[in-house]
Amino acid sequence: MFDSKVVRRRRAALAIFVTLSIVMLTAYFGESRGGLFHTLQRGAQEAFAPIETGTDRALKPFRDFFGWFGDTRAAKGENEDLRKEVEDLRKRVAESSTVEQDARQLRGLVDLERSDGFPDGTEPVAARVIARSPTVWYSSIKIDKGSSDGIREDQPVIAAGGLAGKVSSVTQGTAEVTLITDASSAVSAQIMPDGATGIVKPEVGKPQDLLLEFVQRGRRVTEGTTVVTSGFTSDRVESLFPRGVAIGRVSRVDIDEIERYQRVHIKPFAEIRGIDIVEVLTQKGEPQEAAGVAAP
Amino acid sequence: MSATPGAFLRVGAIIIAAVILQLSGLGPMRIFGGHPDLVALAVAAVAIYAGSVTGAATGFAAGFVLDLAVGATMGVSSLVLTAVGYAVGRYREARDPAHGLMAIPVGAAATVGFLAAFASVSFMLDIGASVSPLVLRDMLVTTLLNTLLAIPVFALCRRVLRPVLLVDPFDRRRRRKAPIDSGPLGLRGLEV
Repeated sequence: MFDSKVVRRRRAALAIFVTLSIVMLTAYFGESRGGLFHTLQRGAQEAFAPIETGTDRALKPFRDFFGWFGDTRAAKGENEDLRKEVEDLRKRVAESSTVEQDARQLRGLVDLERSDGFPDGTEPVAARVIARSPTVWYSSIKIDKGSSDGIREDQPVIAAGGLAGKVSSVTQGTAEVTLITDASSAVSAQIMPDGATGIVKPEVGKPQDLLLEFVQRGRRVTEGTTVVTSGFTSDRVESLFPRGVAIGRVSRVDIDEIERYQRVHIKPFAEIRGIDIVEVLTQKGEPQEAAGVAAP
Repeated sequence: MSATPGAFLRVGAIIIAAVILQLSGLGPMRIFGGHPDLVALAVAAVAIYAGSVTGAATGFAAGFVLDLAVGATMGVSSLVLTAVGYAVGRYREARDPAHGLMAIPVGAAATVGFLAAFASVSFMLDIGASVSPLVLRDMLVTTLLNTLLAIPVFALCRRVLRPVLLVDPFDRRRRRKAPIDSGPLGLRGLEV
């Protein structure tokens, strides 16, 4: 049916492209962050950034229109939950006012330093999200601030109340943020006020449910408690995040009879899938030229 | 498809437009928990009109640009989209589809193939995290949305590629539909 030359040419073309892909994959895994492909990626991201920013803004009305349907459906369910939460919070505010007064007196007595929940020595830089990874396997976003705004690799990124991820690569005007829902993400965390520690890892495809793993069974973890970054460092795992950044709230605890550790499910505070604006926690004293958020 | 500078330019424009629209336009759009995947559709459309070799080349280039722009592991998208482009192109060469609604099954099959192959490669690369069954829901939604988008995307790609196509399946379809001359008794098959 086909000329054998055509068939050979066709198969050769396929073999070449598949081989090139595999070579690229292998080289990418093998090279350092300063390697050829990483450099190419940074260059491409820099080149794409202005076009992506323009496209993002131009298409926002369409996205909002489609998002309106889903949001309306979700808002109905959310409304009920929020009402209950508001009632609960009112009670807690009353309780915490008393506790706060007690704490202030105790602080004065024992001169104990207490964390206010936000890491010291950091300077938040607000940035707008201009592109998002299209697959659930690689959860990352691109922001419109880069090294000229004081952003460096591995700096923590927060969004709407909680930890969102870390800066994985930076160009002069943009930065790539690997989110905490990315398959490669692992954040050392601590449950407050219990103090139990573990590693927060994502469940691919379920961004509203993170897992706190390696929490010892002896430590009692209760639903509703808050999980924050622990700032933990060891030989094997090193936390890039400063201590005290809120991650989420414990939503469920699985205790497996066989496993030595319990699996704690966390609902992140940050709305990972709908992030539009984030803050990068840069180090104080880093050069910072323009830290404002561009108007929508 | 003829390998002219014009052809390269047109396919390149399709790839760049698809990647940018995907990343900044359709990617953030959540519809029932999923989003359309324009890049897989564009590769399938080029492959169905231009054949397996062009399809594989387009898939490779689209994957390369996508991985560059996203900052993901280089080579994964290229590998998967090369296979998708080649498979769709081979389908066209072997079956010669010319139906007006051909875009729907081809777009759906290309999307399913892309998503399944991408998931398989990600698993093989040892992602190091547990996977929720909700991934399957996302895949289903993406496939459904791509099925809806297939006809306009294929039509647009055809319009862009038409000047450089050697054979257009739709033109062939129109020729086939031309009335067949009848024989002397007014019956088909009795032509003299």
